Amino acid sequence: MSDQSFVSLRGIEKSFGDLEVLKGVDLEIRKGEVICLLGPSGSGKSTLLRCINLLEPPNSGIIMLEGKAIHGEGADSDGVDFVRRRVGMVFQQFNLFPHMSALENVCVAQETVLERSSEEARDKATTLLERVGLQEKVDEYPERLSGGQQQRVAIARALAMDPHVMLFDEVTSALDPELVKEVLDVMRELAEEGMTMIVVTHEIDFARDVGDRVVFMDGGVVVEQGPSRQVLDSPSEERTREFLGLVLDH
Amino acid sequence: MDVIIQQYFDLTIIGENFGLVLKGFWETIQLSIIGGILSLVWGLVLALVRQLPGRAAKPLRGLAIAYIDAFRGIPMLLVLLLVSGGLGAFAADGAIPQWLGIPRWFGKPDPFWYGIIAITLTYGAYMAEVYRAGIEAVPRGQMEAARSLGMSYGQSMRHVIVPQAVRKVIPPLLNDFIALMKDTSLVSVIGFIEVVQAGQDVYQTTFNSSALTFGALLFLLVTIPLARFVDRRIAGQQERYSRGTAGASA
Repeated sequence: MSDQSFVSLRGIEKSFGDLEVLKGVDLEIRKGEVICLLGPSGSGKSTLLRCINLLEPPNSGIIMLEGKAIHGEGADSDGVDFVRRRVGMVFQQFNLFPHMSALENVCVAQETVLERSSEEARDKATTLLERVGLQEKVDEYPERLSGGQQQRVAIARALAMDPHVMLFDEVTSALDPELVKEVLDVMRELAEEGMTMIVVTHEIDFARDVGDRVVFMDGGVVVEQGPSRQVLDSPSEERTREFLGLVLDH
Repeated sequence: MDVIIQQYFDLTIIGENFGLVLKGFWETIQLSIIGGILSLVWGLVLALVRQLPGRAAKPLRGLAIAYIDAFRGIPMLLVLLLVSGGLGAFAADGAIPQWLGIPRWFGKPDPFWYGIIAITLTYGAYMAEVYRAGIEAVPRGQMEAARSLGMSYGQSMRHVIVPQAVRKVIPPLLNDFIALMKDTSLVSVIGFIEVVQAGQDVYQTTFNSSALTFGALLFLLVTIPLARFVDRRIAGQQERYSRGTAGASA
């Protein structure tokens, strides 16, 4: 389809046993765009995110990344490697490696996957940890870091692989309220630098301020999408209105 | 009372046979350490094969499961007799070379090596189950994080999953090691003089059990501190879990 489409999802379907989680999702994402995926729990937004880097391969549908089919019709067998080397992911539960220091967490995949030398990996890791404000914590182990600090290490770890796209899966949902901002600030900077980002979130303010586009999902389909302010401030679909009413009430 | 003390704690008998029993115990230690290390390695190999993903690996997984079931279900004494009898006979027939059938590596007699083989075959199966429990106890998000960074299944196991799994199962592995150490006494059955046989040799000439008692004390000297160490480690792990910080990513 459109040449400028960076990530392209067409007819994505995914079931777990009898449970149909995604019922045909189409989504086009341009380079540098920040997409916020909103929707009630169980709407399939996290599953959609996990389909993009093939942590959950879709049952049907086509995924294209930078013009190359990585899943479905026309996909090569090296689709998994291709997508994982270009797409970084940050998880709700941080998933830092608990037996490694912050620095080692950011180095290990650089050395094993990109075959960078250990000095090169350390330099890169140090720079990135500084960038997320953790220069003091490079040698700490995850259990000694707060949730917000752990999540920032996780972001640095993903960025160390020089991703072209970043996926954020409810990355502030497991954080204490006072720690949410430090993580969102890092994401905001990243967006300002032009990173292509797909963000599953419940942070409506973040979606409004940082998101270029909001995609509202419910029941495994995209219900509505459009420029952030438009969708959030004057949604055209009843279901979107209901959801936003519930979320913004408290 | 005197009768008991004389039968079991005759210091003269112990003194006269001190060197003999100690030498036997040194053999026990060598059997335990070499057998223990090989069991640790073989057990890990079995556990990893058993965990291999994908349909293609199904026959291999099946083989590993069959092996583990079989060797956990057979007495080690029987394995020992099968190994020593079989290898000896094959070598006599010329079916396998002499150095393999009647191993005398590193100046140790063949019963020693039959013992090492039987210990490794048997305890490798036990330890494989312990490793499996450890691997399965590592949260799923760890593998997902590693894979999302582009690491292959093998790299993820090597750098992320196995190091965490091994830390979790050090206490049960040490328990298996204590059991292994006690089972080395079975090698006496095929004519190897370790600590129990050394004590029994003394008994057969004196009808006094004190040398055996001395052997028992030597065992306790190693096994009690080991058991205490295991207890402390388990207590420490439980404390960390109840603080909710162990494996901070869980």
